[in-house]
Amino acid sequence: MAGSKCVRLNVELTNKLLESVDSILFDCDGVIWRGDQAIPGAPQVIKLLKEHGKKVFFVTNNSTKTRKLYVDKMSTLGFNANEEEVFGTAYCSAMYLKTVCKLQGKVYLIGSNAMKQELEAVGIQQIGLGPDHIFGKQTDWANVPLEPDVKAVLVGFDEDFSYMKVNRAMQYLTRTDCLFVGTNRDTRLPLEGGTAVPGTGCLLQAVEMAAQRQATTVGKPNHFMFDCVASKFGLEPGRCLMVGDRLDTDIMLGSNCGLKTLLTLTGVSTVAEAEANQKSGCSEKHKMVPDYYVESIADLLPALQG
Amino acid sequence: MAATIGLKACRKIRGAQIRGLLEAKDFILFDCDGVLWHGEKAVAGAAQVVNSLMSRGKNVVFVTNNSTRPRDKYVHKFYRLGFTAVALEHIFSSSYCSALYLRDVAKLRGQVFVVGCDGLRDELREAGIPCVEEVDEPDATIYDCALATDVKAVLVGHDDKLTFLKLAKASCYLKDPNCLFLATDNDPWHPLSSGRILPGSGSLMAALEVASGRKATVIGKPSRYMFECISRQFPGMDPAQCLMVGDRLETDMVFGSNCGLDTMLTLTGVSQMDEAHQYGNSEVDQSLVPDYVVDTIADFLPAFEEVEEQSN
Repeated sequence: MAGSKCVRLNVELTNKLLESVDSILFDCDGVIWRGDQAIPGAPQVIKLLKEHGKKVFFVTNNSTKTRKLYVDKMSTLGFNANEEEVFGTAYCSAMYLKTVCKLQGKVYLIGSNAMKQELEAVGIQQIGLGPDHIFGKQTDWANVPLEPDVKAVLVGFDEDFSYMKVNRAMQYLTRTDCLFVGTNRDTRLPLEGGTAVPGTGCLLQAVEMAAQRQATTVGKPNHFMFDCVASKFGLEPGRCLMVGDRLDTDIMLGSNCGLKTLLTLTGVSTVAEAEANQKSGCSEKHKMVPDYYVESIADLLPALQG
Repeated sequence: MAATIGLKACRKIRGAQIRGLLEAKDFILFDCDGVLWHGEKAVAGAAQVVNSLMSRGKNVVFVTNNSTRPRDKYVHKFYRLGFTAVALEHIFSSSYCSALYLRDVAKLRGQVFVVGCDGLRDELREAGIPCVEEVDEPDATIYDCALATDVKAVLVGHDDKLTFLKLAKASCYLKDPNCLFLATDNDPWHPLSSGRILPGSGSLMAALEVASGRKATVIGKPSRYMFECISRQFPGMDPAQCLMVGDRLETDMVFGSNCGLDTMLTLTGVSQMDEAHQYGNSEVDQSLVPDYVVDTIADFLPAFEEVEEQSN
């Protein structure tokens, strides 16, 4: 199949593709919705896939919602989903700390209420959530009291991000036995309403620079997100399709895990970027070339309805 | 005396060797933190060294990446710690040089959005550069916060009042490719006198580079710009006649190397001898390796005493 990449789907190819997979994993922002608007036709696609007996999962790097909140959002937008089908980085980071790191101890958290809830759901306590402003003098900051039980620093999206938080995280990370985990490296976070703000990648980079340490990130393209889904549902990589809008996270995840990949053009990446990656001599860039692409996932409807 | 091309000597010197070196140099450039003082405590003998150099007719200047104080406050600190002959014109901080850059190189027409502390804003104002006013908007979010018009540069330095909103505003301004992106320095962390550390400008600069997808122009060491500022103030200054004395390999020694100066590492601060040797033995980057090493700049004092003895 060499050379047969980045092919635009038509009805015939869509049918062949769907026959070759049992499970479809969808990214959310830029794929099934944009901000607080569903991509036209997307709810219908999900519904029909399920009617055709396919398993459907949602895999997102966004750490600001719990699985329950995602399901609520999906209902509002006309998607029918349940919590078991949703994998966000708030949930997956908690699972990573619990099952892979086997963390004994507390977490210093730079993140959201959603992350706190997902941590507590697996029995991990956190400190650090909420506003944290500077006080006192420089010597006070360097001598902030450090809780001895903290055994990991976890960084996700945090609207209350501040210098003091970078400071506290850095102080904990001077302990060599303190783990360092990030939810994802996305540079932008899409907001409801369509604008974007600096993403978790920026906050993580600030802490990494100050601490002179590299975090392990749980989100796409790290294979852990797929492992989370696969281990729960017994998925076979070769019979899975990853649908996303970003070459560097969604498609890369698919390549890393041996999944089939479909790029949709309703989000960040373009066909031109995919083709440039294909032509490059770099093996890393070749991982960021999808098998197929569509203008929008609504393009799957003719095959599904036929 | 000047370093030969290729491997750097990284040689510890004392006494007569120091005297010989100082005789050959007209300009001594000193870093401050970790060289002259730790916090509010002067390094023993440092004030005497600086005062002696100045009274012997050497040009002494101070080159610091610390952007938290305006120069007039530095003059007070120098005086407090016993460096009684130091005046405004001897001090080159990254905040002062950022102001000079905006005024003389960028010739800025418009405002600067500053992610930094009051000391930095003071230097900009002193140079006649308008800064966007810090407005206290406790309930503002990125949807409804005030964005100033006419912002032609974003300048990031040490900012202990950094918030997510500031980061978001700065990245909005940086969407305009005509808006300059400057950083006072890229030090990832700063040491305090206690041996503890604090996050530095480099940490905030990294966040903003990721947010904007752009690279900042760095004013402070190891970039050459601060040396250009010094050269403009002292016309006829010859790099071969200069010695850079610092405590941090990746800023002070690289700065000296970038500007064609001889470099001296003092061991009273961040970098230690074994690090200098590690770089010296590697083929990689000789610019981090000092030409000379002293335990403390107080090691200059015996060199002066010998001169005095000779002239008695």
